[in-house]
Amino acid sequence: MERRRFIKLLGLCSIFLPGSLRQLLAAQGPVVAVSQGSDHAAAARRAIAALGGMQRFVKAGQTVVVKPNIGWDRAPQYAATTNPAVVKAVVEECLKAGAKKVKVFDRTCNDARRCYASSGIESALKGMKNVEVKHLEEERFKKVALNGRVLKECELYGEALSADVYINVPVAKHHGLSRLTLGMKNVMGIMGGNRGSIHKNLDQALADVNGYFRPQLTVIDATRILTAHGPQGGNLADVEVLNQVLASTDMVAADAYATTLFGLKPSDIAVTRTAYQRGLGEMNLDRIRVVKA
Amino acid sequence: MRLPRPPRISQLFFLLLFLVLFLLTEYRGSDRIVAAVNGFFRADPLTAVSSMLAVKGYLPLLFPGLLMLALSLFLGRFFCGWICPLGTVLDLATDRIGKLGPIRVLQGRAKYWLLLPLLFASLFGLNVAGILDPIAILLRALTFFFHPLLGETARGGWKSLYGLLGDRRDLLDPGYHLLRDYLLPFRETLYPLAFLSALLFFLVLFLERYEKRCWCRRLCPLGTLLGLVSRFGPLRRIPAKLCPDCRACREHCPTSFDRELLQMDECILCLQCALNCPSQRVRFDWRGMRPETGPVMERRVLLGGLFGGFVLARTFRFREPEAQARMLRPPGVREEGEFLEKCVRCGECMKVCLRSALYPALLQAGPEALYTPVLVPRLGYCEYNCTLCGQVCPTGAIPDLAVEAKKREVIGKAVFDKNHCLPFAKRVDCIVCEEHCPIPQKAIRSELVEVTGFQGEKLQVKQPYLVTELCNGCGICENVCPLEGKSAIEVFAVKDRTPIPLSADAPSAPPSRPPGGASPDPYAGSNG
Ligand code: SF4
Ligand code: SF4
Repeated sequence: MERRRFIKLLGLCSIFLPGSLRQLLAAQGPVVAVSQGSDHAAAARRAIAALGGMQRFVKAGQTVVVKPNIGWDRAPQYAATTNPAVVKAVVEECLKAGAKKVKVFDRTCNDARRCYASSGIESALKGMKNVEVKHLEEERFKKVALNGRVLKECELYGEALSADVYINVPVAKHHGLSRLTLGMKNVMGIMGGNRGSIHKNLDQALADVNGYFRPQLTVIDATRILTAHGPQGGNLADVEVLNQVLASTDMVAADAYATTLFGLKPSDIAVTRTAYQRGLGEMNLDRIRVVKA
Repeated sequence: MRLPRPPRISQLFFLLLFLVLFLLTEYRGSDRIVAAVNGFFRADPLTAVSSMLAVKGYLPLLFPGLLMLALSLFLGRFFCGWICPLGTVLDLATDRIGKLGPIRVLQGRAKYWLLLPLLFASLFGLNVAGILDPIAILLRALTFFFHPLLGETARGGWKSLYGLLGDRRDLLDPGYHLLRDYLLPFRETLYPLAFLSALLFFLVLFLERYEKRCWCRRLCPLGTLLGLVSRFGPLRRIPAKLCPDCRACREHCPTSFDRELLQMDECILCLQCALNCPSQRVRFDWRGMRPETGPVMERRVLLGGLFGGFVLARTFRFREPEAQARMLRPPGVREEGEFLEKCVRCGECMKVCLRSALYPALLQAGPEALYTPVLVPRLGYCEYNCTLCGQVCPTGAIPDLAVEAKKREVIGKAVFDKNHCLPFAKRVDCIVCEEHCPIPQKAIRSELVEVTGFQGEKLQVKQPYLVTELCNGCGICENVCPLEGKSAIEVFAVKDRTPIPLSADAPSAPPSRPPGGASPDPYAGSNG
């Protein structure tokens, strides 16, 4: 209610002061909360708190999907999969905010059983009440019409589509084709069909999907990042420990900020650039408000 | 209802054990699998004898099989009457099948004509006994036919329930979970020899139409081997013949009392005669009088077997060279010849392979390699961190290696087909193969090259290339290549399967920062 009134007010203002409104919005910009600390769960909690807390996104009785990266059969320290401590903290926050059920899943590249076990995510969430760590079931994929630039339609995972809240929890890492994989690319974990075939137009295709399906919250795990030989790494020499967790409601902004952790500019990443150009979010660092948490 | 007798209790126990071990032959979240899953094969004397004859050496893994053989010298064919799960299946089914009377040709020496050529062929280096091994027949029928069928049916039903109920189906989830986690295969794999495996099993069952335990007494090479040994043992039934005043054993004995004299090499120690003897006269004793049973076998059979084995070993060798190129063996197998000698074609590795990468060979390696495991990358790939097949292989044909060693074993080498590969043929980005290559140093790499598009425009494309020295042939690249049907990268068999050297695992260069762009490694292409 509050927010709607505020927007109405803004709208009203805009009639009289079109110029200053734009200025006002620009000054506001999307927020990326960045927290640092070797207690990764606490860092994740602080980042979420800086955005206004989980209750801003999750209301009592809602079903939440938390989508980490469980794509590879690698132990957590290789930074190919999302840090289980971060995932657990996010899940716990959801429960605290009153979520009825939290579902955690990913479409894996290696054997799902091995990925779930090796990533440490399955065991971290084991035994938690109202939390399901699930393997995907083929029949739940639904064809959706994206009417995007390159993807007219694609299959998305039903449980992600039907969730009340979708929280994206990627790990920040290197990728051979897109250079980095961050929040935007994490959506591939709920895509069905022959995912490899979108590589020929990755940035456009990802913008198509992310434009259709948008997470309410993106929490990027940068507690340790994979700087080379991504997306699966496997060599500790390629891993850098940063002890950072980022959170934002604007996934493009979150990605843009995360890019700087690799010493790159947001515009170096075609996926980010394309998403920005298509209006999915902010990528200009000077228009992003970074809140240290 | 009569209470089950000790032999029957034992039979049911071992059948259950067999099924439980079968279900345990699956990845369940732990890198090591219960060691006992292949217990039945390791204790299988036929496996032990034929494999050791083939390699002409002692295989410690198969010691239990030799032990079982030694035990049979004292206890007769107790394995057949108390343990063998296929025998139990027959016993459970036989009463429901009407009998037609014995088949002529199967009487007499037929079983030796089967066993001896098999054993002699082993001696000449062709170990195909496993094709007719009863445990293998049962296991393959389960692995290739019944289990996938069960999975297919159950999961199919579950899926259509989703079509009917949508997300409300989740209310039934707990029940299905149990089924899925403990009973169903993780994925329903369709196997090329499913039909043959089922056929062989049903044929054995079908023989029950003629007489009880027909397969066991007339054909089974394992039973025959045990029978040969027990002939010489001291265990005897007393009385050795049918008693003139009663002859009730005739009705109860499932195997050999259709003659006057008990044939120890056919007796499966089921104790039906002792348990049902109206005057409780029958007992089994080790100091029993050795009755006259005639010669073990005629010289004709022995020589015939020898010759048969030789012919088998020579004529089964033909191999189609084209098909050979794709004869990818499980990880750790370095030498095709040695592998063929040891593999008993049990199917354990194919059952356990968690990516369904292994399939029974049809004829691509010649008839001699029927049922041996071949990796088919387009259907499944060898998971980098998995060592399960080596763990379950009863004979060590696939060695049980530590993960670190297994990762370096060479299954084959990948080769690009630039006529199909998208960045070359279509000048678009792809490199899904590079993304999936599990080697930390990447056996598949790519270089950014400038090409001219088909409209004459300048394009930048990442073209993949292979660092053959690092490739272990796991096949994931071929598996995930997004092209339809044929992959643009394929793994081919290689003779030289020397493992990837340890040094190749060390970082070739400190990771460059920022990533992407030029990397200072010796394999990078000129435009790198
Ligand atoms: S072939 Fe590879 S994936 Fe299959 S069981 Fe053997 S090691 Fe595991
Ligand atoms: S290689 Fe496979 S089929 Fe052959 S013996 Fe070993 S587990 Fe059995």
